[in-house]
Amino acid sequence: MKISGIGMIFTEGLGIDSFEKALQNGWRKPGEVPVHPVTGGTLPVYLVNLNTASVKTLLKKVRRSDTLSKMCVVGASDALVNSGIENLTQKKIGIIISTAFGPHVTTFDFLDDILDHGDAAVSPTTFSNSVHNAAASYVAMSLNIKGPTLSITQFQFSFQAALQLAQIWLQQGRCDYVLVGAVDQYGEVLGYVSDHKLTTAKDGRIKPFTFNPTCQVPGEGAAFFLLSNGSEGSVYCAVNAVHIGGDPARGESVDINIIDADGMLPDESAYRSSLSADIPTAAYSPLFGSMMIGSAFNAAAGALMLKRQTRYATPVQDNPLGIRLLTEAGRGSIESIRCTGINCYADRSVIYLSRA
Amino acid sequence: MHDTSMLITGIGVISAAGRNVAETLSSFEQGTRNAGPVTIFSTVLKSPVFEVKHLPAEYYLEGWRTVSLALVAVDEALKDAHLADLSGFRVGVCMGTTVASQLNALQFYKTYRERGAAPMTSVDRFLKGNLAEYIGRRIGARGPQLSVVNACSSSTDAIGVALSWLKGGLCDIAIAGGADELNHVPYCGFSSLGIANPGLCAPFDRDRQGLNLGEGAGVMVIESRANARKRGAASPIFLSGYGTSGDAYHLTAPSPDGVGLRAAVHDALTEAGIGPREVGFVNAHGTGTHENDLVEGKALADIFGPDLIMLSTKGYTGHTLGAAGGIEAVFTAAGLRAGWVPACAGFLNKDDAIPIAPVRKKTPVTQRFALSTSLAFGGTNAAIVIGREMGV
Repeated sequence: MKISGIGMIFTEGLGIDSFEKALQNGWRKPGEVPVHPVTGGTLPVYLVNLNTASVKTLLKKVRRSDTLSKMCVVGASDALVNSGIENLTQKKIGIIISTAFGPHVTTFDFLDDILDHGDAAVSPTTFSNSVHNAAASYVAMSLNIKGPTLSITQFQFSFQAALQLAQIWLQQGRCDYVLVGAVDQYGEVLGYVSDHKLTTAKDGRIKPFTFNPTCQVPGEGAAFFLLSNGSEGSVYCAVNAVHIGGDPARGESVDINIIDADGMLPDESAYRSSLSADIPTAAYSPLFGSMMIGSAFNAAAGALMLKRQTRYATPVQDNPLGIRLLTEAGRGSIESIRCTGINCYADRSVIYLSRA
Repeated sequence: MHDTSMLITGIGVISAAGRNVAETLSSFEQGTRNAGPVTIFSTVLKSPVFEVKHLPAEYYLEGWRTVSLALVAVDEALKDAHLADLSGFRVGVCMGTTVASQLNALQFYKTYRERGAAPMTSVDRFLKGNLAEYIGRRIGARGPQLSVVNACSSSTDAIGVALSWLKGGLCDIAIAGGADELNHVPYCGFSSLGIANPGLCAPFDRDRQGLNLGEGAGVMVIESRANARKRGAASPIFLSGYGTSGDAYHLTAPSPDGVGLRAAVHDALTEAGIGPREVGFVNAHGTGTHENDLVEGKALADIFGPDLIMLSTKGYTGHTLGAAGGIEAVFTAAGLRAGWVPACAGFLNKDDAIPIAPVRKKTPVTQRFALSTSLAFGGTNAAIVIGREMGV
């Protein structure tokens, strides 16, 4: 399976070019958002801006949708354009959207409706947008995609599970292409929960290699991948394997390790067993924020490195344990990359990417 | 021809129609409709619901009703499949849901809104309650896990994903289906959409006035024939096709031409290697809303002809949202196994706009294949083909 196009929206802007710039420029301090007025104060958050001119045009068709759906429409559309493949609408395209928390902000809006107006006077539009697969529906409608359309959630491994299913759909001929997306949105309640259950980096700096204790900075965004078994379009790399719950190829050497460490677990020490003194390791979460679907952004970084044959330095290099990090950017041969995620049960997921 | 279908070696179900397959078939035979006012939360709304009464005590989990319902069905399915020990197998778990995927915690949110802080009990339940993950850990499954959140087609899609996993060699056995509890939030939501019935639902009826919500779970144990043979299991029932397709039309209304449903049925039949004439009956989505039943009825009549044996079982269970496809897949399998389908509860008068009518009485089925369909919010459509070995 190959990655034929990547689309995204994240805190630094729209598109893979914005992401590449962020990879080149390194860490930037996130903005601050106010928390609940009773408790007061602010939290650092990597927020998405949907008010840019290019994004607004794309969103005309889905103006009644919520922010989560808008991020998906923008990301999905961007992935198709990025692929450069013509006549895609004549192909059978599947959509799999993965999310950890789905439209939770809209769900809380709907709860506001119930609390403020009572059971009989709630908004049908808000309810419709609070359904988990609304985002996939808006993507399908705005891009006129009529293939299999699935929304899934598996917390930290949502993206990996979507990728694994896409691989099978392509193998079994259910689709010519699969548009796999990963999306999550920041909201005040989720910010409160994260801050309460985890440690927020008050300086806005995620330190992925401290492992324990960890610190997080919430992020939001959407990353979409157009996948196929062919070699059409703007091929980034091959996805050789996706393993969830273990790594049967753990002993294999790769050129770069990317880990999803981002402070979303209070103890991320389990990542250490996936590292090697021989392989440089990177974690790009400080560029887009802590998200259970952050693995999609890390995979995008890996795909971009394989396509460009360029290394991007890991953006925050605090390294108390002396791990071999990818500290410097530069060109050079890259054949394979392993992207590793860990969940709250210390189960492992891995995505193996290789040069196309 | 190489048979790529997968055996359904176990089924389990719980709904207002019964706490297991046997109770459910008995309700079907008697035409029992266990609907009534909401009792599990307070509301001013009056649309009747199909609640599960008398959830077995050993399955009660505080604040985890969806998980409780799922576990009842999972245990029945595993027992039916004679699978007491999963340790030697790669077992995948794929479950559809809507409620379990959302932090619909009204009291938590109310407290947070007022104080800027709230106890984390319901958040912890949500974070530990991913349906597939919870079940997988509970039964010791070592294989892929996935919660499908495709609204009302979630668990038909979950069963379809399980079929893909098995064919792709990702697991030896799959536990697949779905579960949803009756919840305050969607109850208000469906009422706001103007499709909650003030009386009892009447799928495909001329005078239908909307749906009733329900709750429950339906689960299947599905495995490759080789795996079943290896462990000495047998079953006359098998899963042979899955199709899914989007309308790309509207967030809450089906495409009037049923384009997505037609494509989903076509793909499911194609994967099963059969034509429409080989389908003995269709367990339709049939919610009892004007639009769904009109679009679905027309599409089914076009594909299968006006003489098709067709029914909706939502007159016995209500619309169980993310669980509906799993529950109805189990009913479809049970119908094939038993050789009959029940009357379409609530149906009285044919709608002249729909060129097909559901069955009005218990009806024998003699053919080898049956289809179960789901249509969802967001314009997703899913269909699965279930078959039975003849002469077994």
